Amino acid sequence: MSRAVYLDYAATTPVDPRVASAMAQCLTLEGEFGNPGSASHGYGAAAAALVETARARVAACAGAAPNEVVWTSGATEANNLAIFGVAQYYREQGRHIVTARTEHKAVLDPCRELERRGWRVTYLAPDSSGVIHPEQVAAALQADTVLVSIMHVNNEIGVVQDILGIAAACARHGSARLHVDAAQSIGKSAVHFAELGIDLMSLSAHKVYGPKGAGALLVARRARGAPLQLTALHFGGGQEQALRAGTVATHQVVGMGLAFELARSAPPSELAHVAAMQERLWRGLAALGGTFRNGDPARSVPHLLNVSIAGVEGESLLAAVRNRLAVSTGSACSSALREPSYVLRALGRDPQLSESSLRFGLGRFTSEGDIETAIEVVRDAVSRLRRLSGYDAD
Amino acid sequence: MDYSELTLRYFDTASQVGILTGPDVHRGSAGSRAGGVWVQFDVRVNAGLIQAVRFLAFACPHTIAVCAWVAEHGAGPLLRAVLPESVQDLSDRFAVPVEKRGRLLIIEDAWVAAVNDALQRCPL
Repeated sequence: MSRAVYLDYAATTPVDPRVASAMAQCLTLEGEFGNPGSASHGYGAAAAALVETARARVAACAGAAPNEVVWTSGATEANNLAIFGVAQYYREQGRHIVTARTEHKAVLDPCRELERRGWRVTYLAPDSSGVIHPEQVAAALQADTVLVSIMHVNNEIGVVQDILGIAAACARHGSARLHVDAAQSIGKSAVHFAELGIDLMSLSAHKVYGPKGAGALLVARRARGAPLQLTALHFGGGQEQALRAGTVATHQVVGMGLAFELARSAPPSELAHVAAMQERLWRGLAALGGTFRNGDPARSVPHLLNVSIAGVEGESLLAAVRNRLAVSTGSACSSALREPSYVLRALGRDPQLSESSLRFGLGRFTSEGDIETAIEVVRDAVSRLRRLSGYDAD
Repeated sequence: MDYSELTLRYFDTASQVGILTGPDVHRGSAGSRAGGVWVQFDVRVNAGLIQAVRFLAFACPHTIAVCAWVAEHGAGPLLRAVLPESVQDLSDRFAVPVEKRGRLLIIEDAWVAAVNDALQRCPL
């Protein structure tokens, strides 16, 4: 049996062969395997040079300066470093944080933990299209707000937030730093760390054809009042400006750097191709009837399509397509009993439609044939499950 | 979510799906679509025998698989309102996760409702 069509690029992407090759050259005796912290010999210096090249590439892609890049193991660690780092460092200044109900768990869970430790967190509700408006953020800011954490591109519905407007609200407040989880942004939607006025930004390599286990936190070094400070979460070597101790994984950051460079240099036609395929996919699914597109398409990246389908149970829908189509739902599947997507619930979708959603993630290697197969597979599955559930007889 | 081979087989090839009509058909249902699990059984009873079974289910693969098995094995003498196999045995047979075992009670409720209707209208 051939492999299922992969439409889960929002979960992870395959490593670009050029990236894999560059990474492999940092692992073996013939390559640059040295410890980039070993300044006393050429092996270390060569590895350090590769690390700095990668740093410059990531910075250039995200609109930051190289010295603003702090390597991490991924966006989850970057989010934790940003949230706990700011909260701890500025705890005497204030203990209030603003975020959104539609954030990734890698932001929500640290916020919940801070609540357990005595901080107050305001969770903003999006409008029905998934948008958090800057005025909402401004209204939520309090005298002791130290951090606002709002993602750029939502990982379930693809909606792009008005980061520029939110950053302006934070700047007017004065002491509320803005953290942006941009794990889904690179290669999908323009994001410029400096121009948008972001203080902290989380990045991930594996969402953009780089390796898993590599990410970065961008920490603004430009002046906006006093320089931004963070309390580190790791100790033990002083690497990464003492913000992230531990030997830098040369092969990982080299892979991330090249992946970001490739994303930066991707032709506009790649985006247009993905957009055309997303539109074709939506038209094919809409023809089923009883299908609802989640998120505002005018404000979403073309790489994500989230659709709720009436008359089918979500877990059965995933199971019915499993052999031919690799997609996901936003539902929490860590236990046997699935929960409706909290993101879709926050948009006001009823529980049944929130639970019966599919998230299609399109990417660089998605073909038109993949899209046609996906439409056919979903159509067959929905038809069978609706017959099973008596939906047509309703 | 992991499913046993048997669960996937019955889920993928569920037969006896649909409804029955006629004066000799008895229907029972339980659960709700809004609650995420809804099951309906139709049984055709003649001369004290369940001659045909059909089901509908808005439910997870485990529930659909068990419904399909019950429908397949439900035909036979109309003796009393119990499933062809106990809830515990069905749970074991289909390796139903403990968190989902309550769903088998919904299947049992729907089956018992259909058979009870038959027993009341066609006493043994």
